[in-house]
This record gives sequence, structure tokens and C-alpha cells, in this order.
Amino acid sequence: MINFLKKLIYFFYREYKLYLSGFHSVLTMITFFFVAIFTFIFSIGPKDEILSLLGVGIMWTLFLLSSTLSLRKYYQEDFENGNLVLLHLRGFSYELICILKTISHFIFVQIPFLIFLPIACILLSISIDKVYYIIISFFLGSIILSCLGSISSSMNLLNNRNYLIGSVIVIVFSIPVIIFSVGLIGQYDNFNSLINILFGILLITFAINPWASGACLKLAIENN
Amino acid sequence: MLLLQNISLKRSNIEIFNDINLSLSKGKIISLKGKNGSGKTSLIKIMLNLLEPTFGTIYWKGKNIKKNLYSFYDQVTYVPDKTTSLKNLTVEENIKIWKKISLSDIGNSQITNILKTLKLENYIYKKVNSLSLGETKKLELLRLIIENRKFWILDEPFTNLDTESINIMEQTFDDHRKNDGCIFFSTHQRTEIGITDEIIL
Repeated sequence: MINFLKKLIYFFYREYKLYLSGFHSVLTMITFFFVAIFTFIFSIGPKDEILSLLGVGIMWTLFLLSSTLSLRKYYQEDFENGNLVLLHLRGFSYELICILKTISHFIFVQIPFLIFLPIACILLSISIDKVYYIIISFFLGSIILSCLGSISSSMNLLNNRNYLIGSVIVIVFSIPVIIFSVGLIGQYDNFNSLINILFGILLITFAINPWASGACLKLAIENN
Repeated sequence: MLLLQNISLKRSNIEIFNDINLSLSKGKIISLKGKNGSGKTSLIKIMLNLLEPTFGTIYWKGKNIKKNLYSFYDQVTYVPDKTTSLKNLTVEENIKIWKKISLSDIGNSQITNILKTLKLENYIYKKVNSLSLGETKKLELLRLIIENRKFWILDEPFTNLDTESINIMEQTFDDHRKNDGCIFFSTHQRTEIGITDEIIL
């Protein structure tokens, strides 16, 4: 058991080193997010009322698009250089690899985003009382996006010809997440029920992710 | 200890190989030879249970390997034909990650000695993407020592190595065999290793 826990820690150490060495790509995603926000501000105009009305929707859409930029970080590199096989041979089942990769993606890609969210709120003139709800909705939503990202990027390993299909899958399956997350802001009476729905979606995606992604990894390694 | 029985593989209705029987046990060095596309890598993947054979069974310590998979993996080091080292990390970081993930108890002084033998000691703080193909291959093979397992399965281990490095590897193979280890490798090249069995696909 101790050895197993050590292996988990070392897996995260490996992921930390990998994300640190490629941190410029996370910064690029955050830059994309902010540049796109500025583009929206310039195109809509500087009126605070309009920005605060559309702000949460804009942030969610851009957050989603930025997340799709990181899909390649998931499995592609480890698949191409044979590290997925080596990790499997070191006792990590495909399902466990998927769970650990999803957690790593959340920690090293999504959390840096969450840290910058309050700045985005200021830029979009979103009132300070909404920031708390936005952070909760983005926190739950980003875990769901990490799970969906894992499924779509593992499916991409089976399809070398069209990498964009993974992004399309993430966007399509994220629609319910966006509906409930955006709905959460300003619906303070229904806050608990909407949070429960989001949490339910999170549990479903978290449960499906290892099996779906694990099966895709296994097939991709067999066919490689 | 590892027994492959009547292994056959078909892909897209084309027979890759048929009825392969093989046993890997202590003190054996088995080489696998064959033309490009003859299924050498596929056979290795079947041995590692990464690919399902069309027919046949693999046994590990008398049990079907599927029921005993992680016990088998605990005894195996696999070095594929491609570069698995993480290119954006340094040689030292790669070694540290391998050492930690495989829970190896090999000492740092031993690793330093091997790096000296392989003439990699000056590259320890350099990123892997700045190494030549031969140096990267030597780094890959270093994993055999770090992981310290009984079964070595290697896909084209001598590719990109110079004569001196091949000699060192042959000596390492021989030492491993004498220590009750077992080596299975595919190659195109002639080697001076005391091969106990040869399979031609």
C-alpha cells in the first residue's frame, strides 16, 4: 500500500515536471483567454451594464475554448514517445493513468486559470458579490471539462487524421455545463439545486472518464 | 517462467506469424530476428500483454498471464525502439523519475559510475533533446540498470549505438544472464552475445 502511494506521488511529480517544462503553453492559454476578453470588450463597447450582463457567458465560452487548446497535453505526447506503455508496465492500469492525468490536468492547467478569474471579472465589470458564485461554478465546471478533455483526447489517439474532432466533442458535451454554470450566477434562490445538478454532472463524468478513456488508451496502444 | 504457447497473429485478415512457442527462463538470452514488418514488435507487445494474439496463450509462473499480470510487470523492464526519455527534461530529471516510479533502490554512486562508463556524465544536466541519437539510446538502456528487474525485453537495443557502446551492452547482457536474468531482444545486427535461442520470423 505504501509503495502504491509512493508511485502515485511520483506520478504527480513526473506530471509536475512535465507541466513545468511546458508551462509556456499554459501561459499561452491564459493569454489567449485574456486577449479574447479584450477582443469582446472592444467589439461590444465599454458600457458596464452590457459587459456585466454578458460577462459570465463570455468568460465561460472563452474558458471552454481555452481548455480545448490544452487537449494535446493530455495523452498525445506520452502516447507518441511510448511513456503510456512504460507507465502501464510500472503497475499503473489504464484507468488509473486516466484518473491521475485528469487530476494533474486540473491542478496544473485549470487551477492557474481559476487564479486569474477575478482579474477577468474586473475587466468585464462583474460585480464583486458575483465573484464568489463564479469561482464555485468554474471550480466544478473545470473539473468536468478536465474529465471531458480526457475522454476526447484519448479518443483522438484512435483518430490521427482529425485532431479537431476532440475539441468538437468537448464543446458539445460542455453545453449542459455552461447552461447550469451560467444559470447559477444571479439565481441565488435556486443556487443549491443548480449546484447539485452541476455536482451530479461532475460525478457522472468523473465516473465515466476512467473507463471510457482507459478503453481508448488500450485500443490505441494495441493499434499503434 | 514465461511461456508463450501457439501464439498466432492476424491483422486485417493477413497472417503476421503463426504457432510461435517460446519459453523465457533464468539465464537465457533469446534474440528475435526478422525482416521489417515480420511482426517482431507485435510479438513483443503480445508478450507484454499490450496486444491480444489471434490465437494462443501466455503463461507466467504457470498461470494465465492475465490473472497474474502485475506480478509479471514487476519483473520486467521493457525498452522500446523509440525514445521514451522526456525530451524537455534533463538527463538527471529523467533518471530521477524512472528511479522513483519504478521504486528502485539503486544508489546514486552506482548510477554515476554507469553514466561514466557510458560516457554520459557530462550530459547529466543537459536536456535530452540536446543529446545525439546514440546518447539518447544509451540513456534508454540505462533504465535496465535503474529498474533492476530479472526480465529484460528490448526492441532493437543496438540501433544508433557505436561499436564501443555495443560492446558495453553485450558485457552487461552477459553479466545479467550470469545473475539469473533473462533477456529477449529483437535485432537486425549481428552480436557476439552468447545467445541461447534464436527465433526467426
